Amino acid sequence: MNLYRRELREGRRGLLGWAIGVAAAVLLYMPFYPSVGGPELTQTYIDMFPPELAALFALEGLASGPGYAQSTYFGLLGFLLISIAAIGWGSRAVAGAEDSGTLELTLAHAVTRWQVVLETALALLTRVAALCVVGSVLVWALNGPAQLGIEPTRLLAVTLALFLLTSVTGLAALFGGAVSGRPAVATGLGALVAVAAYVLDAVARLAGAPWLARLSPYHWAYGSDPITAGFDLGGAAALAAAMAALVLLSGWRFSRRDVGTA
Amino acid sequence: MDTAVQALGLTKRYGATTALAGLDLEVQRGEVFGLIGPNGAGKTTVMRLLLDIIRPTAGSATVLGHDPREGGSALRRRIGYLPGELRLEGRTTAGELLRHFGRLSGGVAKGTIEGIAERLGLDLARHVGKLSKGNKQKVGLVQAFMHEPELLILDEPTSGLDPLVQQEFLSLVRDAKARGQTVFLSSHVLSEIEQAADRVGVLHRGELIRLGGVEELRAGRQRRLRATVRSQPGLRAALESMGRVRGLSLVERDGEVALTLSFEGDLDMLVKTLARFEVLDLLLEEQVLEDAVIDMYRNEAS
Repeated sequence: MNLYRRELREGRRGLLGWAIGVAAAVLLYMPFYPSVGGPELTQTYIDMFPPELAALFALEGLASGPGYAQSTYFGLLGFLLISIAAIGWGSRAVAGAEDSGTLELTLAHAVTRWQVVLETALALLTRVAALCVVGSVLVWALNGPAQLGIEPTRLLAVTLALFLLTSVTGLAALFGGAVSGRPAVATGLGALVAVAAYVLDAVARLAGAPWLARLSPYHWAYGSDPITAGFDLGGAAALAAAMAALVLLSGWRFSRRDVGTA
Repeated sequence: MDTAVQALGLTKRYGATTALAGLDLEVQRGEVFGLIGPNGAGKTTVMRLLLDIIRPTAGSATVLGHDPREGGSALRRRIGYLPGELRLEGRTTAGELLRHFGRLSGGVAKGTIEGIAERLGLDLARHVGKLSKGNKQKVGLVQAFMHEPELLILDEPTSGLDPLVQQEFLSLVRDAKARGQTVFLSSHVLSEIEQAADRVGVLHRGELIRLGGVEELRAGRQRRLRATVRSQPGLRAALESMGRVRGLSLVERDGEVALTLSFEGDLDMLVKTLARFEVLDLLLEEQVLEDAVIDMYRNEAS
């Protein structure tokens, strides 16, 4: 686990920065629920927007505390910030180290290609989990003061969904790097997965095409509304399967290619 | 098993480019073997193949009795490697980075890192990101030597080192040889490794074009001579009569002649020819092997 420990030690400053960003997102949004959310105010917004836009941004969610936390943080800003952080880590794990030339020396030591993939993936998951915990602990702290009314187990359920979803985007970036060795490909693939997941879900809601949503990891995470309905084991299993597939394919492909010649 | 490194028809192609074309080579245990060649000759390709960083297109390699691919991490634990393009990054100090590599190699005897660092004049407390090229090279050397591997694979180990540190490096190589370690190293010029190497191979465009003891290659070495000589008739004729002179240029100015030439072969004759004139300045340096010389080697071989 030397690579895992070193990855975390080297990345601690970056992790702190992202944690501050996530905390800021929670602290900027949650306290304002009483003044901008609630059933009456929300109806005013919904009437202001064309129905398609209201559906796209899930404005009806603002009517309740959990819905407000979902639409602002878990479904939007938290997803966005943690995905970007995860994609950065995933891209650096193999492609970044390979591109900068440091990976060659690591691989010349008594480590295997699989070990590089598994330990950097684990370091990525650890950091994503840390960010998700920071965000949700703050949501929990503001639950009472901001009258959000989120059930504790439901908060756990939505935190798990956020963790799995953002891990998929980060591991997609790691996979892109493990296959190509190029940071641009890695970042691009991670971003593509994140954007496609969000857009597919939104378009499916707009177009009323539930089959389309089934292709979206965003829908696997949030489709059953875990912040009000609790754990969705099917969705979590789909996300976990995607994560496992990405890690396995990364290790398999990375073990079979030349390093440093991209 | 007395062979440390063996290559049989080892070939690496990238699309239409051939980086290494059927290398056959044997390095014995306990030997110091030098690979010489200009940039792009395939030296780095050979070394990366031996460490399983890249995989051969054809042919095979055996390192300490194992195929690099099958030997895996257990095999690489027995090797110390210095990459040709050494990149070190991070917010850690040189000492922390070296301890990290030491843990990857399964541990380093206490005091070894400090000992080698001191010999090379490396400050372990400095942050690696802020080290000069020469100091990074020293970090690379320490990590290659510190776990006393059976085989050292060093790609251009002397690059970026000042002459004094180069001498200390050569003494590290001699110590390694005395302990029975095998050293496989490369350079673009013979002069930087000739004191250390037992045998030398010349690599050019992916082919091994010459193999022999250091003395044999030294005799055929290319030297570039630059000199300033007092103007005197017969200078050009005298130089040309030596034969094996190429690229002769004489520029006369204020009664002095600035001359440059490339020379190969018996140095004694060159010195004695020059001694007939009044020499005001003299500079003799080794030349990176030129294509013309390489063609000559080829013709000799065939």
